[in-house]
Amino acid sequence: MTAMGPVERIAAAEAGLANPPARGPAWARRRKRAFDTIASRGLPGRGDENWKYLDHSRIAEYPFDVSPTATVDAAALAPRMLPLEHAHRVVLADGRYEPRCSGRDVPAGLEIIDLGVLLERDPQSALAMLRAPGEDADDRFALLADALATGGVLIRVAPGMEIAEPLYLVHLATAAAPAVHQSRVVIEAGSGARFTLVEHFVALGGAAALGNLAAELTLGESSVVTHLRLHEHSPAAAQIETWVARLAGGSRYEQHLLVLGGRLVRSNLRLALEGRDAACRLDGLFLADGDRQVDLHTAITHVGPATETTQDYRGIAAGRGRGAFNGKIVVQPTARGANAIQSSRNLLLTPLAEINARPQLEILVDEVQCRHGATTGTLDPEQLFYLVSRGLDPETARALLTFAFCREVTRRLPLAPVRAAAEMLLAGALPDRELMRELG
Amino acid sequence: MRGARSSILEVNDLRVRAGERLILDGLSLAVRAGEVHAIMGPNGSGKSTLTGVLAGRPGFEVLSGSATYLGRDLFAMAPEERAREGLFLAFQYPVEIPGVNNVYLLKASLNALRRHRGEPELDAFEFLNLVRGKLAEMRMDERLLNRGVNEGFSGGEKKRNEILQMSLLQPTLSLLDETDSGLDIDALKVVADGVNKLRSPDRAIVLVTHYQRLLDHVVPDRVHVLAGGKIVRSGGRELALELERRGYDWLREGTAAA
Repeated sequence: MTAMGPVERIAAAEAGLANPPARGPAWARRRKRAFDTIASRGLPGRGDENWKYLDHSRIAEYPFDVSPTATVDAAALAPRMLPLEHAHRVVLADGRYEPRCSGRDVPAGLEIIDLGVLLERDPQSALAMLRAPGEDADDRFALLADALATGGVLIRVAPGMEIAEPLYLVHLATAAAPAVHQSRVVIEAGSGARFTLVEHFVALGGAAALGNLAAELTLGESSVVTHLRLHEHSPAAAQIETWVARLAGGSRYEQHLLVLGGRLVRSNLRLALEGRDAACRLDGLFLADGDRQVDLHTAITHVGPATETTQDYRGIAAGRGRGAFNGKIVVQPTARGANAIQSSRNLLLTPLAEINARPQLEILVDEVQCRHGATTGTLDPEQLFYLVSRGLDPETARALLTFAFCREVTRRLPLAPVRAAAEMLLAGALPDRELMRELG
Repeated sequence: MRGARSSILEVNDLRVRAGERLILDGLSLAVRAGEVHAIMGPNGSGKSTLTGVLAGRPGFEVLSGSATYLGRDLFAMAPEERAREGLFLAFQYPVEIPGVNNVYLLKASLNALRRHRGEPELDAFEFLNLVRGKLAEMRMDERLLNRGVNEGFSGGEKKRNEILQMSLLQPTLSLLDETDSGLDIDALKVVADGVNKLRSPDRAIVLVTHYQRLLDHVVPDRVHVLAGGKIVRSGGRELALELERRGYDWLREGTAAA
């Protein structure tokens, strides 16, 4: 008898829903359809264009029929948190809102809704609020989260509200034994709202847990959202996330994605610049050292006129690490005067490391300014020689250049505690840690 | 302590290849403490190869011959070891390194050399005082310290930055690879001042240059003409003036006939 694959395990999880929450017939139908799609078409695999660089056998190792029973040790949590003292904290423990660890005083204009409670008390509202994932392979994990997630959070900022202190959303993995947890996140910025959201994926235990997040982000007219996303994780953890973002006219969205830990991280972002003058800036940095795998996908669609994208993604692979970046930008016929710049720069530190970068541009209208480029290479020998010719030893020179490559992204992080944490994680993975500290 | 006339660098019958191309073909050169040498020559004569191979730039293959630096086999030393032993190359094209602070490199470099000599590292305060003084001498904007190494520097700023490093590290042997090219007259004077300040009885300087105008400000003890991968003529300062007047062609004809 062969071990159960993910699809069988998901079917077992479905069967195990002995007392499905009473969410009514609409939810039952939606869930049934999700399970049927997964049963008949499976999880995405090597044959699916956007999933070919991922090690699917690695995903299959996680027990999709085991969900963790969260027990949060608040004392153990404290030292793992970023020092964002005045931030409003929201903790999702294994995908479920954890009020004991989350902030209490919610400022006016900020609404935090526990989706677990909402799903139980008012499933019809939840049904309307949560996007129903599609049937294509790219949405399959979101579909899984839709079917199995029992919690999550909705964060809503009222129109015109400016929140001075950042919102700090913690995705906490608590599992002491291998497990798979699902969660849903919805972020809504009302028109004219302004805030900064810090997301932090961190583990308390070292267990082999896989997190699967389906998330939505909506920016109202002229809202401004700065979004910092730090994937720290434990070395045995895996994370899959599917984000769908919609930007209304005149809104500004800035994202800083840092994938610096975990055994496997797959991130999907589908972003639509819907209204006139909507703009996004996407910064990304990943590190795939050891035998870690990082696979980042972004799909940006320019719909409104004079919309703007600036994307700067960088990746480093070392050891037997594997990274992939797939970034597609589509400029639709309605997006006259659009502006898109996409750049992917990648650094290979060892012969067995691998990075596949694939920028794609699809322009369906005239009068736009678009350019993109991707480079993958090793450290520049001329820069290395310059440093050793000044007396630095070659190991230090290599570490310094690698760190410098990362700093081009980290120095744009607008919050010092996040920048410090990211640089510490990077320095810890690179040789000559002391030197990197001194660089500060 | 080294005597005023002790040997700093001795290159003997050096033959060097880059890829398939033989670039240095029997070059010999002796530099003693206290001396300033100028090596002149037309483009493609092997000037940058000479400074590169002496500093340890990768990509060259030494076929035969030797280079002795302070009595040691130079080619047996790693590039960083050469630097720590007091050899300095001012790059013709200083490299931009975004993300590494200029001031950080200066400090890391100086402290690497001090550690090597068994001296204590400078603390932040001592170091900044020292570097600010040098910066003023070079008439460089202090803001250049906190930029990435050479990042977005103008051509002249890059060359001044090389001389700043040199004056901070106080090398025993400085090799300047066309540091004067592309400089306006003011920058040239600042660079020349930096070089002149370094002149001392126990140091040596080798200036590689295409033009003689730097030599109006830094008066060399010896002038050599490099052509076809070897020194074809050596002389005093007057040789540089003659080259300025007559160009290099007469020498090339001379070697061909010889």
